[in-house]
Amino acid sequence: MNALTASAAIASGRVTLANVRQRSLVEAKVRVLVVAFLFVCAALAAFARIVQLGFFEGAPERRSLAEALLPPRGEIVDRNGAPLARAFPAYALWYNPKAFGENGSPLVKSPEEVAAALMQIFPDADYADLLRRLKSNRPSYLRARIMPEEANRIFALGEPALEFPRENQRYYPQGSLGAHVLGYVDGEGKGHVGMEQVLEKDLLDPAKRAVPVSLSIDMRAQGALEDELGRGMLETEAKGAAGIILDVDTGEVIALASLPSFNPNRSDMAYNDLVFNKVTNQVYELGSTFKPLSVAAAIDAGVVTDLSVRYPADRPLEIGGFRIRDSHSFGASLNVPESLIHSSNIVTAQVADKLGGPALKKTMAALGMNERPYIELPARGFPLWPRGHEKTGEWARITTMTVSYGHGIAVTPLHLAAAYAAMVNGGVWRPATLYKVDPAKAPEGRRVFKASTSARMRQLLRMIVVNGTGKSANAPGFRVGGKTGSAEKPGGKGGYNRTSLVATFAAAFPMDKPRYVVIAMLDEPKGTAATSYQRTAAWNAGPIVGRLVPRIGPFLGVVPDDTRDIDISDLSPLVGNGNGE
Amino acid sequence: MIASANRLRSVGWLVLLGLCLAMVMVLAFRVNALRSQIHHAEARIVALKQEKMYLETEFETRANQQQLKTWNDVEFGYAAPLAGQYLEGERQLAAFSVPSVPNAPAPIRVASVDDAVIASAAFPAMVSPLSGKPLAELAEHDDAATKGGAALAKASSTTVADHAEAVETLNERLGKAVESRPRKPVRTATASDKEELEVRKPTAKPSGKVDAKSAAKAAGKWATKASTAAPAKQASKASKPLEKAKKDKASTGSSRVAKGKEAKSVL
Repeated sequence: MNALTASAAIASGRVTLANVRQRSLVEAKVRVLVVAFLFVCAALAAFARIVQLGFFEGAPERRSLAEALLPPRGEIVDRNGAPLARAFPAYALWYNPKAFGENGSPLVKSPEEVAAALMQIFPDADYADLLRRLKSNRPSYLRARIMPEEANRIFALGEPALEFPRENQRYYPQGSLGAHVLGYVDGEGKGHVGMEQVLEKDLLDPAKRAVPVSLSIDMRAQGALEDELGRGMLETEAKGAAGIILDVDTGEVIALASLPSFNPNRSDMAYNDLVFNKVTNQVYELGSTFKPLSVAAAIDAGVVTDLSVRYPADRPLEIGGFRIRDSHSFGASLNVPESLIHSSNIVTAQVADKLGGPALKKTMAALGMNERPYIELPARGFPLWPRGHEKTGEWARITTMTVSYGHGIAVTPLHLAAAYAAMVNGGVWRPATLYKVDPAKAPEGRRVFKASTSARMRQLLRMIVVNGTGKSANAPGFRVGGKTGSAEKPGGKGGYNRTSLVATFAAAFPMDKPRYVVIAMLDEPKGTAATSYQRTAAWNAGPIVGRLVPRIGPFLGVVPDDTRDIDISDLSPLVGNGNGE
Repeated sequence: MIASANRLRSVGWLVLLGLCLAMVMVLAFRVNALRSQIHHAEARIVALKQEKMYLETEFETRANQQQLKTWNDVEFGYAAPLAGQYLEGERQLAAFSVPSVPNAPAPIRVASVDDAVIASAAFPAMVSPLSGKPLAELAEHDDAATKGGAALAKASSTTVADHAEAVETLNERLGKAVESRPRKPVRTATASDKEELEVRKPTAKPSGKVDAKSAAKAAGKWATKASTAAPAKQASKASKPLEKAKKDKASTGSSRVAKGKEAKSVL
């Protein structure tokens, strides 16, 4: 027992010593391992940091710079890069009654004095409204947008409660120019009416909004168009005016104006009738401007092969109790060129009758007259397309005849522009677009007329301007061709109101190689001294085109030239003295 | 001994470590400083770009189409160009030289100095953006460099002389009455000039369109001006051999600059 105990004691002492030594060794090794592990960790961390510095650190900085310059809403520019709409941090006038803390008067001077001082800075403001806001203890906007100099003057008033925070707003440097194309952005930052609404997603997309969106609009042409239409509207005391300039080869809309217009910078005042787009949304019976289209359809179909064939024109045409008449008699008979020059309903109706309803209908449908106009804008009017026979859908004889001179069918001015572009560009109809198009990538379109028909129509349109009703649009050197149209508006006793007209001039230039179609339309023009007391298009819409073309031609690449013109010598002998109505 | 050496070594290591740490710290500070500089620069770029945008927008607003139209109506009255203001090409331009009616008398031509030569000398067609000297002159310099120094001296002296005379002739033709300095007779030379002229004579050879006579005169004129500016220097220069004058490229250049200034003040 004892011996066992003693031996156990000795053994345990040795074991303990051996254990201590081993333990110390293990401990030392563990420590070395731990230290080595720490060093490795530190080295790894340092290496990771070096890698991070070397490869990734630069990027966030650069992104922040790009982010700082990224507009909150993308910019819209015209075809030459001039800004039409941009995000602009403008000053607003904000009333903060808590500027001095919770207690005490928020203003240094009396509210009456402050309101009077503000009235001096903003003469158009409402004094009572200002006073009410200043007296109420609620923070509110006193004005949505103020100019920097106005902000300085307010600052000089020494009222800490009047603050002017910089707020990102939509700004249109050109004011009301192209308002219907651009639209406006409301207080919540949502786009309305024009391209602001169409491009809403792209303009807000962080990946896309750094690059401005290029429209097909040319700001200078837009300015000239609005200016001339506005002048024509004032001169004739018209209710409204609409105009469009269209590139015949690509379908690009160079300018589009609907007057009276609105100011997109005052989005708070934009909720009114003026945002209605007369060019793309309002349908009109565009009258005689349809005659060239009908004649083109007849020539294309081979119905009119000889332009010297004469048609009786001395008495109204009676079809099923309906009388087709002219404004006045142009003589016993007229040939096709004369009927266009004098704008004879009777002869055009006979030509259309010869052509037949199905063919005319097919042409009109091919020109897109039976569907909404092709353009990106959200507001597009549906044409009033003649219904035809209940079962077959065929047009009645009288319908064919009235459609041929632009009655019984109501389309938008944009429809007419696209149709005229197809008629003069060699016969290819293309959809209109508001995006800038590379001339090499113009849409293919669809062929409506033969190239020979188009060439003939160019001659006839030029003759109308040289010899006929379109003389007032004959801008020297620009070889303008076109057709007047003065349609009575629906309403009144006999279905039409004889006193209210829609006067249209549809033109293209230069006729020897058409580049642009110009449509000018006046809604209910009156006979005034400026128009020699006449209400028809020859006296009001024609001169608008005549003044507009020389203004826009040179910078749209059409140089005036007196030495060249389309050759109309083969048709001139067919026309008498050619004095138009 | 060994222990102290070991200690010394470890102290050395520690010092080295400290040094490295200090250097790393300095480097880190510099990196941070640079980074903050970049940050400031970027902030400034952003601010300036936005400022540019504000100013651009303000400009666009103040010069918008409607405003320009109003200004034009009230102030300027510009109208669109007419067909007569355009020329389609050389053919149309040439049509203007055709007599207006058949058998019209030929237009009367007035004898005069060759305007083209004067104009090209007075107004060098194109100035090099690098050196500010006319390009034609530079080309001459290049030629001279290949052909040798003599040609250089010839060319530069005649060019300078041409220019001075051309400016004077132009002024006469333009009827300039007011001048910053009294006009000197163009065709007379003083005695000292003649001396200079003799030295220069062999160099004043016809170059290009300028005939020998006018070149010689021009050289004389150049000498006149140079001698009034620094007669003593010119005299000494004249007595020196011709090679010296040829080599003296810099002085010719400087006098040309002076001439240029003179011409500017006169014009």
